[in-house]
Amino acid sequence: MRQENVRRLISIGLLLILLIVFGFTTDNFFSGANLLNILRECSVIGIIAIGATMVIITGGIDLSTGANLGISAMICARLLYYYQLPSPAIIVIALLIGTLVGLLNGILVAHFRLPDFIATLSTQFIFRALMLITAIKEDGSIVNKVIKDRGILVWGGSINGVYLVTIAFILLAILGQLFLKCTKPGVYIYATGANRKSADLSGINTARVKVAVFAITGFLCGIGALFTMGRVGSVTTDTGTGFEFDAISAAVIGGCALSGGRGDVMGSVIGAIFMAVLQNGIYKYNVPTATQLIVKGVVIVLMVIFDSVYDQHQQRQIMEKARQDEERLVGGEV
Amino acid sequence: MEQIPILEMRDIVKTFNGVQVLKKVNFEVRKGEVHALMGENGAGKSTLIKILTGIYPKDNGEIYINGERKEINSRSDAAKCGISVIYQELSLISTLTVAQNVMLGKEDSKVGFLKRRKMKEEVQKLIDLYGFHIDADAPVETLTIAQRQTVEILKALSEESQVIIMDEPTASLSARESESLFEIIQQLREKGVSIIYISHRLEEVYRLSDRLTVLRDGTKEAVLTKEQINPTEVIRLMIGKELSEATASNQLCHSKQETVLKVKELTRKGVFQNVSFELHRGEILGFGGLMGAGRTEVMRCIFGADTYDSGEIYFKGKKVLGKVSDMIGLGFGLVPEDRRNQGFIPLLAIEKNVALTNYDSLAQKGFVKGRDEKQLGIQMVESLDIRPGNPQIPVGNLSGGNQQKAVLGKWLSRDLKVLIVDEPTAGIDIGAKDEVYKLLDNLAKQGTSVIVVSSDLQELLRVSHRILVMRKGTIFKEFASGRITQEDILMAASGIEEGGK
Repeated sequence: MRQENVRRLISIGLLLILLIVFGFTTDNFFSGANLLNILRECSVIGIIAIGATMVIITGGIDLSTGANLGISAMICARLLYYYQLPSPAIIVIALLIGTLVGLLNGILVAHFRLPDFIATLSTQFIFRALMLITAIKEDGSIVNKVIKDRGILVWGGSINGVYLVTIAFILLAILGQLFLKCTKPGVYIYATGANRKSADLSGINTARVKVAVFAITGFLCGIGALFTMGRVGSVTTDTGTGFEFDAISAAVIGGCALSGGRGDVMGSVIGAIFMAVLQNGIYKYNVPTATQLIVKGVVIVLMVIFDSVYDQHQQRQIMEKARQDEERLVGGEV
Repeated sequence: MEQIPILEMRDIVKTFNGVQVLKKVNFEVRKGEVHALMGENGAGKSTLIKILTGIYPKDNGEIYINGERKEINSRSDAAKCGISVIYQELSLISTLTVAQNVMLGKEDSKVGFLKRRKMKEEVQKLIDLYGFHIDADAPVETLTIAQRQTVEILKALSEESQVIIMDEPTASLSARESESLFEIIQQLREKGVSIIYISHRLEEVYRLSDRLTVLRDGTKEAVLTKEQINPTEVIRLMIGKELSEATASNQLCHSKQETVLKVKELTRKGVFQNVSFELHRGEILGFGGLMGAGRTEVMRCIFGADTYDSGEIYFKGKKVLGKVSDMIGLGFGLVPEDRRNQGFIPLLAIEKNVALTNYDSLAQKGFVKGRDEKQLGIQMVESLDIRPGNPQIPVGNLSGGNQQKAVLGKWLSRDLKVLIVDEPTAGIDIGAKDEVYKLLDNLAKQGTSVIVVSSDLQELLRVSHRILVMRKGTIFKEFASGRITQEDILMAASGIEEGGK
């Protein structure tokens, strides 16, 4: 069986175990409301993780997604408060800022040849700082103003109990998966990450691929900003903090290798749901909520250990096969 | 009868930093021929190929394809002219499937969606047409090296290449796998594909090529037809002097000196079983066998780089259970098979690479003695004649032969008891090969025991005092006396006893 498939089974298995354990040991875990709530909790992270997945498949990493979401939301909140811009304009601006920040990352990485880690760490710092600067202030101190615009708040709502953010998450995940697996640029994303030199030699513009995945991730951060504003109803200087690591964790639990070339959106969706279930279930126990971080950490470590063990296993198999081929040739020829 | 050449390069000139690397070179390939391009490292072979494939611009000269003048300024220009290259370092995308690799960069799609099934079928058709044994849907990472090479060839074929350039295609193949590659080459030739064949393995070149062009110091030395190709003549043309390489078989002899290393029933499950042998002082012990026979893996276990499941290793009568650092401390050295990834650190200077294994004497209380380090670098560059002779040049920038000398240099300043060299001359030119052989001879004379793992049969015969042939993870046969031939080794490696079929 292919490594991807084994890995998929393991992540699904872990999720099932978690569901079963929480289902039997906590009250009301399987109630519709709770399940919908879990999906709501993982949706924004999941949306960002779709982009993070693509970046990681190209062999990169994006540490600026949380800050990107934050600055997009912060600027929108400011525009709403001071200028009362109409919500359609705010929506366009949020997506625009997100995409531009992503483009900036992409250009730094692809054209100025900064390592992904350094480029996006720097932009994270810069945009976090810009959030503090653009925050709404009265008498010199930062105040959190409540967003009153219905056109924004509606994004926090639901249809028949299913939150809009969850619907968006599912749709975007399907689109992302199709894009990765069934389109040319999708294949190029894998090729860039698995062997960039060789992808270049095959006529693939890998610099453009890099810029594109960062821009897509940025755009998704803009979407995340809208839903966050809609749900929370205000923007603080902490909005989006740590989202980048949750998105990366979802991708890694779902099967992305940080060395690139491996993973898909489906996996990252499972990873994101896994983390939300963990958080939800552990909250119901009478243990410190920090326990979920321990479980998350352990699971990530185990997954990566599995990858390396599987790699060795595969190498052995290939050697065995080479030996068998020799046999076949010798048997047939001499 | 003269055909119109499918490819003609006329008066190609290329200068790097004021040094003329190609001096008006003419090169011509006919349809359906295997044309070997020979020359020592630095003769200009790779520069010529890079100009042909649009990686380097030429300073002067013309390229004609089918009699038509073409400008080749990029790889895609080359592809449009029907020229493709099978790279020495395979350039496949390991996580994608065979079909995806073959179609990479030229995918079929409809309104943005890939026609995956159609592409797969197309590739499978191509595979079947040439009778290869590969599944179009298999991920490349699950294939053997030989199969991956076949995928590279498929890639070229799918572009309907008229000229396929093969650069050291057998470097990582065993004798048998090479045989099947030669069959593929034969088939390609019959279908009218021309092949430019570059290899340091002379016997392959003699066997395969219809014609042969020899380059030396950036000029064309000669073009030989099949009838004119003659080993000593080609070597003479390439380097301008005859080499000791022509004499193949040594007198084998069993050393009477003390046993230095004794390996007893060493087993690593699924890789090799019950490997036992002794190594004597001052002996050069050759290890022959096909790729995948387990030779490299045994050596890695002896050196402490991998673990084994059962068996014992004795050094001078004492059992050792070493980590790599312990083994180095005992006087072991390893020159690994995969030079680029395991032998040296490309970005580090020669002196730093050489120093890596010597910090036990080069450092005091954790501080590196910079002057000693520099001294050692200079010493090694001089004694090994590493060129260019500047110890501060990164090893990655050297030619293959000089890189290998630098790797050897890591061990030579130590009190070396056992040196294991794995494919010591893969992909390096004849001149450097001869230097490596002399070096091993000298080491043995000074009392170091040497293990040489090699798939180059000539090389085994040339350097070894005694030869062990491994097969399917066990030692199949020992040759310890008399004169033997390449065939003897190949037969043993293939599991055929004398008197057999």
